Amino acid sequence: MDPVSWTWFLPEAFLLGAALLVFLLDVLGVEKLEAFGAVAVGATALSLLAVVADLGFTPLSFLSTLPPSVVDSGGGATSLYAFSSLGLVFQGVFLSSALLVSLASLSRPSHEKGAAVFYGLLLMATLGMMLVAVSADLIFLLLAIEVTGIATYLMVGYTRKDARGLEAAMKFYIIGALSTALSFFGASLLFGAFGSTNLLVLSQGLGGISNHSLALVGYAFLIVGLGFKVTLVPFHAWAVDVYDGAPTDVSAFLAGGTKKMGVFAFFLVFIGPLSILTVRAVNCTGTVCIAPYDFRPTVELTLGLLAIVTMTLGNVLALLQKEMKRMLAYSSISQAGYMMIGIAIGTAPALAGATLQILAHVFMKAGAFLVVAGVSALGVGPLIAQYRGLGQRRPYLGVAFALMLLSLAGIPLTVGFVSKFILFSAAVQASTVAGQSFFFWLAVAGLLNSALSVFYYARVLKVMYMESPDASVPLDGPAGDPTGGLGYGRSAAILLAVVAIVALGVYPQPVFSAIQAAATHFVASGA
Amino acid sequence: MGAFDSLFQWAFLVPLFPLLGLVIVGFFGDRMKKAEFGGWVAVAFSGMAMVLGVLIAVGEALTPGRYTDVSYAWLTLPGTQSVFSNGFSLVMGTLVDPISALMLIVVNVVGFLVMLYSIEYMHHDKGLPRYYAELSLFLVAMNGLILSDNLLEFFLFWELVGVCSYFLIGFYYEKPSAASAAKEAFLVTRVGDVLFLLGIFIYFATYATSGGGAGWAASGFKFTTGSTPFLGSLVGSASSPTLTIAGLMMLAGAAGKSAQFPLDVWLPDAMEGPTTVSALIHAATMVAAGVYLLAVVSLFLGFTADDRLAIVAVGGFTTIWAASMAVVNTDIKRVVAYSTISQLGYMVLAVGAGFAMVGLYHLFTHAFFKALLFLAAGAVIHAVGTQDLLKMGGLGKSMRITSIAFLIGALSLSGFPGFAGFWSKDDVLASVYSQVGAHPLYWPFLLCALATVFLTAYYIFRAWFLAFSGDHPRDPTLPHGHDAPWAMRLPLLVLSVLAAVAGLFAFLPSFSSLLPGANVPPVYGSTDLVLTAVSAGLGLGGIGVAYVMWGNGRVFQLPSGSPLQGARTVLLRRYYMKDAYDWIGLHGVYRLARAADFVDQFVIDGSIRGIERAFSSLSNGMRRLQTGVVSDYAAYVVTGLVGVLLFFLFVAPWIFRTMGGG
Repeated sequence: MDPVSWTWFLPEAFLLGAALLVFLLDVLGVEKLEAFGAVAVGATALSLLAVVADLGFTPLSFLSTLPPSVVDSGGGATSLYAFSSLGLVFQGVFLSSALLVSLASLSRPSHEKGAAVFYGLLLMATLGMMLVAVSADLIFLLLAIEVTGIATYLMVGYTRKDARGLEAAMKFYIIGALSTALSFFGASLLFGAFGSTNLLVLSQGLGGISNHSLALVGYAFLIVGLGFKVTLVPFHAWAVDVYDGAPTDVSAFLAGGTKKMGVFAFFLVFIGPLSILTVRAVNCTGTVCIAPYDFRPTVELTLGLLAIVTMTLGNVLALLQKEMKRMLAYSSISQAGYMMIGIAIGTAPALAGATLQILAHVFMKAGAFLVVAGVSALGVGPLIAQYRGLGQRRPYLGVAFALMLLSLAGIPLTVGFVSKFILFSAAVQASTVAGQSFFFWLAVAGLLNSALSVFYYARVLKVMYMESPDASVPLDGPAGDPTGGLGYGRSAAILLAVVAIVALGVYPQPVFSAIQAAATHFVASGA
Repeated sequence: MGAFDSLFQWAFLVPLFPLLGLVIVGFFGDRMKKAEFGGWVAVAFSGMAMVLGVLIAVGEALTPGRYTDVSYAWLTLPGTQSVFSNGFSLVMGTLVDPISALMLIVVNVVGFLVMLYSIEYMHHDKGLPRYYAELSLFLVAMNGLILSDNLLEFFLFWELVGVCSYFLIGFYYEKPSAASAAKEAFLVTRVGDVLFLLGIFIYFATYATSGGGAGWAASGFKFTTGSTPFLGSLVGSASSPTLTIAGLMMLAGAAGKSAQFPLDVWLPDAMEGPTTVSALIHAATMVAAGVYLLAVVSLFLGFTADDRLAIVAVGGFTTIWAASMAVVNTDIKRVVAYSTISQLGYMVLAVGAGFAMVGLYHLFTHAFFKALLFLAAGAVIHAVGTQDLLKMGGLGKSMRITSIAFLIGALSLSGFPGFAGFWSKDDVLASVYSQVGAHPLYWPFLLCALATVFLTAYYIFRAWFLAFSGDHPRDPTLPHGHDAPWAMRLPLLVLSVLAAVAGLFAFLPSFSSLLPGANVPPVYGSTDLVLTAVSAGLGLGGIGVAYVMWGNGRVFQLPSGSPLQGARTVLLRRYYMKDAYDWIGLHGVYRLARAADFVDQFVIDGSIRGIERAFSSLSNGMRRLQTGVVSDYAAYVVTGLVGVLLFFLFVAPWIFRTMGGG
């Protein structure tokens, strides 16, 4: 391993610097939202390019900050961090969602109060997520999650005027604090069982294990604590109220960004190079020797059941929602269920499929929330029924929203189809291995749920295209504005999302093969 | 030949040009001030496709045996030990090889000429942008099909061809007969398509799981690697019953698209579309897709001996089956349509006998003389406003150019020595004759094909005499026909030349490298010369009989008491095949559909409504859990924690114990 260099953390440093700059500008009396926004967009774009360069995208190699020998080499027994290519992919995912949201928020009112708080916190939250992606130690991981957590609690209530936003922030904070406590308690139990919180130490059972049950209880606490972030049922209830009550751009960031951080934490703890699931060798500490114990079947079964419950419940509850944001919130919960399929299976193809699903979800779900934010800025109400005739009155916006919904439903030629296809076929493939026929039912549950979900997405399309517009709703935006009241930043963000959805749906191979390689590394160095 | 190497890389532009034409005409055609302008745009793009296609073909002819494959993986997935052990790819690519180069000429030259001809022919039609958009889409699909480098891509474009034919046959969709002909074409070919897809699955399952073919799935089910079939020695060596079934499925697919017995009923009805469409789809290109499929399968996947016998039987029987129906028909377009089915039978026959190249040689010449016949027939219909041969007559005087064009097409079709059809048809017969030792059943089908030579010459000259010879039209109310303007004449002229001489191309050494393999160009041994003499004699005899019965304005009337009247009725009713299908449809399928509808309405819909109601009430019930009270939410988290703990410590161990260790 090369000697540690601070340049390895340049992408993270950009974000930290930008966050501090935003707060500094605020203190210096700058009030223009565009100034803060420009800093945030610049920093996230720059770090995104650096991360893509680190992933081995040669045209950008001059921006690369990591020596290739560091990536995928694993961490040491005392490391706090380790770079994996899958972690870099996730950094790309986090930065993409931050970039989309900060770009779209440029179109918020120019002198909005709290713009500096919003952008500063957005950058801090992204920084926390970036650190999650390079964790090699349970405590480091949980602290990084907390950095993001605290920033996002504040973001939900940053306007300080909106009672619903404040209420949502309070709920988010209380439940978040509870789950953090559970996570740390789980980590302390694992420390008790293994004598370390370093993931490598845990994964190799170096410290020996004195009590399987103690470790199992630790895992259970960890699953619950992380499940809160991923919105697994029954730890999901906060998500609907928060996504609904938060400013919609923040909802986009929560659904598109921070939720994925939880998924990656699951990857790290339960699958990756540092997976703690298998205690491989017979270890003797003192006079007590213990046989190897495989926790994997138990955890796989639990995560698989949670996946099924989560996607089914999310979809069923989405069916009857009358409000657009709540419908999207429930659909986001069900999407978490699909991602959990990949974690439960844990093979390289399944991980690759789940990762593509996560990348897709940034563009389709965050994109959808950004559209909703734009539409409500025009003066359209929160109900689905109030989107009447959007497709006819705003053809471009309508097509963009329709593509996002179709992608969420998994219709071919959108990325949502490709990722589900890969994920479910990986499940079927894994089920051909003896003793894992259970995975087949995960694929079946996923397929049935996809079919069910088409129902509520199609209902929105029907409202948008088949019902005539409500003349009283100012769908057209102010006259003379070429973006029709959306603003350039938001239009650009929506366009980016749509381009990504279609490009990855029509020709997924280049991006997918990078993800596939990363996932294979991740699993191979773990087994 | 470095220059051509880079040219072959750009083969994907051939389908892309008409696609651009489609986009421009389709999206902006309605806004153009003059409707023809959109037509010219489409013509220009198909012209570019033709130039590039012909250039590629020339390059291929000058560098014999070159296979250039350019492909992009759409998606690559890993496999498992038991299935697709080397992984699995979905690939889009272009393969330029001798036979696809040959097809590029056929499709794009005929396509361009038909488009040019249509400018005038469809002049008065209000749906012009739609017409050109659909025609362009058809060229996209056809070019994509012939350039496909793997089976799945081939199937994709195959289906697109089917959709296009549905659009174009039903172009006059306000006319009930056109709408139903379009549906008929779509449904009948669909029978073949479904079986074709099944065949693809069988090939995948058979080859991709066996040791030698493991790389096949990883490659994306490519046809070739370099210049050899991808499956290498597996092709043709295996003779398992499964492969025979797969081959029969391919035959079924081809029979649907190429209108072979018993899936031939749709093609005569497809004449409901504009005549130009008939020329493009139902003479030169779409129906060629089936024969091309058979050729591709026989070259790259291999047919078993039993498959070949079945193919020979279908092809041989179809020649005489269709020709006999043409003998009595009095609709000028339908006569030509039956001749298409019959001629396709020759091509299928040749592929079945093991001479795919000979089949494609006949496909090549046939494309030109058949497009010529259709366009000439179209010119006649355009001029006199009827398709009924009995009303025409004496048109040779007023429509001299059209008359000569039709005559050249007829001579070529009937195999008059020296014309294009002569060489290729002769080659088919000689090839089949060389294989009669393979199985005693080859003989009867060869005799069918020989008898068809006589019938073909008879019916096509009957049509020519009825339309063009004599002094005046038999129906005096017919408008006075005259030759068409240059945009219609030019294609007739070019096609006339090609219909006369295209057969000779095979004797050019460089051109014949597009048809590598035995028997192209025709070789004339002593027995073959006898066969040639016999078939030429049969053809001349057919022309002679037609002259005696129909020449110079004569109209042959079958005596009313003749026992042949019954046969005539059977032929006019098309052997009651359509009636049989209708009967099956009404009494079998319709009743089945009624039963299915009952099940659908009461059992399936009922249970779906039940499920919907169940989910809705479930949704309603669970919605109450979303209280908005934060302590409730915390309670859920804790309940969940307890659940997970119980599951971990008690339920999961119990499950693994009862399942025997999991």
